[in-house]
Amino acid sequence: MLPNPKTLSFRLNRTISLEELSEQIVLSGFKLEAVSSSKEQREFYDTFEWQAFGKRVAIVKQNKTLSLVDLNTGQQIASAPFAKNSSSFFADALPPSIVKDELTSCSTLRAFSRLCMLDVISFEYRILDDNKKTIATLTSESLCLTEKKSQGAFLHRFALSPLRGYEEDAAHVAQSLATLDEESTPLDFKEYFLLIMHEAEHHVRGYSAKIMFTLNPHAPIHASARQLLQFTCSVMRMNEQGIIKDIDSEFLHDYRVAIRRTRSVMKQLKGVFDAGNTIYFLNLFRELGKRTNELRDRDVYLLRKESYFNYLPPFLQPSLQLFFRNIAASRQPLHKQFFHYLSSSDYQSSLKEWELFINHEAPPDVEQAPNAFCSTKDVAVESIKKAWRKVIHHGRQISRATTDEELHVLRIDCKKLRYLLEFFSSIFSSETITPVIRQLKELQENLGDFVDFGVQLRFLQEELATKAEEKLLAASIGGLMTTLFQKQEAARLKFHKTFSSFDHKETSQLFHDLLTCTLI
Amino acid sequence: MKTIALYSIKGGVGKTAAAVNLSYLSSLLSPPALICDLDPQGASSYYFRITASKKFNSDKFLKGNKKIFHNIKATDFENLDMLPSDFSYRNLDIELAEEKKPQKKLKKNLEELSDVYRFIFLDCPPNLTLLSESVFAASDLILVPLIPTTLSIRTFTQLQEFFEANKLENSKIHPFFSMVEKQKKLHRDILDQFRNTPGFLSQTIPYNSEVEKMGIYRSPLNAVLPNSPASKAYRNLWDEVKALLEMPGDNHAA
Repeated sequence: MLPNPKTLSFRLNRTISLEELSEQIVLSGFKLEAVSSSKEQREFYDTFEWQAFGKRVAIVKQNKTLSLVDLNTGQQIASAPFAKNSSSFFADALPPSIVKDELTSCSTLRAFSRLCMLDVISFEYRILDDNKKTIATLTSESLCLTEKKSQGAFLHRFALSPLRGYEEDAAHVAQSLATLDEESTPLDFKEYFLLIMHEAEHHVRGYSAKIMFTLNPHAPIHASARQLLQFTCSVMRMNEQGIIKDIDSEFLHDYRVAIRRTRSVMKQLKGVFDAGNTIYFLNLFRELGKRTNELRDRDVYLLRKESYFNYLPPFLQPSLQLFFRNIAASRQPLHKQFFHYLSSSDYQSSLKEWELFINHEAPPDVEQAPNAFCSTKDVAVESIKKAWRKVIHHGRQISRATTDEELHVLRIDCKKLRYLLEFFSSIFSSETITPVIRQLKELQENLGDFVDFGVQLRFLQEELATKAEEKLLAASIGGLMTTLFQKQEAARLKFHKTFSSFDHKETSQLFHDLLTCTLI
Repeated sequence: MKTIALYSIKGGVGKTAAAVNLSYLSSLLSPPALICDLDPQGASSYYFRITASKKFNSDKFLKGNKKIFHNIKATDFENLDMLPSDFSYRNLDIELAEEKKPQKKLKKNLEELSDVYRFIFLDCPPNLTLLSESVFAASDLILVPLIPTTLSIRTFTQLQEFFEANKLENSKIHPFFSMVEKQKKLHRDILDQFRNTPGFLSQTIPYNSEVEKMGIYRSPLNAVLPNSPASKAYRNLWDEVKALLEMPGDNHAA
C-alpha cells in the first residue's frame, strides 16, 4: 500500500462557526462543502499496565466498531465489529480478526478496560478546488467526558486529511485555518490521546509492579527499606479496585507478589525495624497472604484451561468442562469473601496502620533496631552474599533422589535471593546484576515447574477422591495426572543439570563481581 | 496485479466511459485500483476532476518508479487512484522511440506498482502507434469497445491483423459492443453476426444519454446513477471481465 498522506491536526481554544470556517477556506483559494455531522460516543481501552500504549497503539470504540490506531501517525491499523457494551474484555475472547491478533500480542492475561467515555460532536467537510475535486477532508471535533457533560467540551480539534497528490494544497489550507485562532497548536494523535487521558484523570503508564526506583547506596538501610515498603504498599493499594471489580487475575497476582516482597524485606533485613513491630506486621501480612491462596489457586487453574485441554486426547476433553465449571463455581464465593474483606474496616485499619508505620520518618531506637543505620550498600552486599551462600549450600546438599522437600526448600531460598537482587538492583550497575538475575531465573524456573506440578497433582488427587463416580471426569483427571507426573519428573531430572550450571565458576564469578564491584 | 487496457484504433467509441466505470467498479470489491489516463486529451482525468501537477509530463511518466508514484492522485472515491494525463503525452510516441526497448517500457514501469494495486486500467489514445504496442505488451486484457457499425468492425479487423503480423498474443483481445442502439437494424444485425464469436464479451453497453452526461456529472456513472441501464450493463461487463481474469484457461481458449 502507498502510505496515506499525513493528517494535519491542531487544537483550538474556541469553537469556530461554519461561516467563519467557510470564509477562511475561500480566502485560501478553495471551497468548503459540508458532508455530515454527528454526535457519538467514543471509548478508549487499554490494560491496567498500558500494554497497548506500550506498543504505540490506541484502542478506540465508536459506532459498535473497535479500532486500533497508531499513536504516532493517527492512522487506523485495523478495525472489527464490536457490539459488546461491557467495561472490559479479553483479547482472546474476540472473534478472529487482525484486531484480535494485535491485542493478543499485547496481552492475553490482562483484560482491556474502558479508560473513558467521551461525547464527540463532529462535523465532516470536504475541501474542494476549482474543479470541485476534493483535495482534503476536514473533521472538526468537540470532545467532552460523558461523566462531566455539564462542564462542556474540553477539547476542540481540526483534523485535515489530504487526499493523495494534494498534500501541498492541503498544507496551504492548514496554514490558513491556523490563523482562525491565534492560540491554536499542532496536535498529533499521541498528544490528543494524552490530553484525553489527562482529562479522564488517568496517569498513562502510571502502573508497573516492577521495582523501578533508585536507592541511595549511602543512605541508612532504614530509609531504603521504607522506600521499598512504600512501593510494595502502593502496588497493593493500586490493585485493590481491580480485585474487587474482578477485572482480571493479574490484579490479585501483583497484590500477592507485593505482600511477599513486603514480608521478604521485613524478614531478611534483620535488625532494621524494631522486633515488636516486625513480628506484628509479618504476622499481619502472612495472614493477609493466606486469605488469597485458595482464590489464586483457582485463578491459576482457570488460566491453565487451554493447556489442560491440550494434554488430553479429544474424547476426554469434553468431560474436563465439568472440572473447570466446578473450579469457576468454587472461585465465586472465594472472590466474594476476599473482596468483602478488602472493603472491611478491619482490613482498611490494618493497612492504615501499616502506612503510618512505613511513612514514619523518625529512625527507630538503636537498641531495638541495631542495624537501622547501616548503609544500604553494606546491607545489600551482606544480605545478598548470605542468601546466595544459602542457595549454594542447600543446593549442594540435595541428594541424588532430589526429594520434594529438598527442592521445595531450595525454591524458597532462591526466591529470597531473587527478591534481594531486585530490591537492590538500582545500586548495582545493570551490566553486573542483569546476568546474575538471568542465571538465577533459569534455576527458579526449573524449581518453580517442579513445585507447581506437585501442587497440581495433589489438587487433582483430591478432586479424584471426590469425583470418582463420574467415570469420564475421573479418566480425564487421571490423564492429566499422568502428564503432570511426567512433567514433574522431567523437572526433577533436570534439576542437577540446572543447579550445576548455576553452581558454576562463571556464576560464582558473576556474584563475586557483583558483590565486590564499585557500586553506582 | 492485473492490467486492463481500454483500447480502440477509432475514437468516440466509449473507451473512456468504460475505463472510468470499470475502474470504479473494481475499486468497490477488490481494492485498490489505479486508472492511468494515457490520452493527451485527458478525458478520464476530466471525468475525475483531476489535473496533473505542473511538474508532471511524459518524460517523468517514462522514467517510472518514484516519478510515477509522486504523481498519482486520489480520486474522490475510496481505493481508486489516478495517474492523470498531461498534454505532453502527445509526444509519448516520439519519446518512446528513443527508449531501448520501447514495447516493454510500459510493462516495466507498471510492474513497479504491482505491490500497491490489484487492478490497473489504461485509458488509451485512439491510434495504433508505438505507445499502443507498449500497451499491448503491458496488458493482461485488451478490452476493445466496438460500435456495431461496419467502420468500427473494420478497425477491429485491422487490429487483429496487426496482432497476427507482429506475432502478438491475440487471445488478450476482448471486444464488446458499445453505444448499442437496438432500434437500429444495422446494430441488431451486427450483434447477431458476432453473437457467438470467440473472444467477444457477451455484455453490450447501450447508447444512453446518461453516459453522455458523465461529462456534466464528472463522476463514474455507476457512482452517480447506479441503477441506470448503462450502469447495470457496466456491472455485468465487469463481472465478465473478472471471470476472464480469474480463469486464465478460458481467457486463452477464447
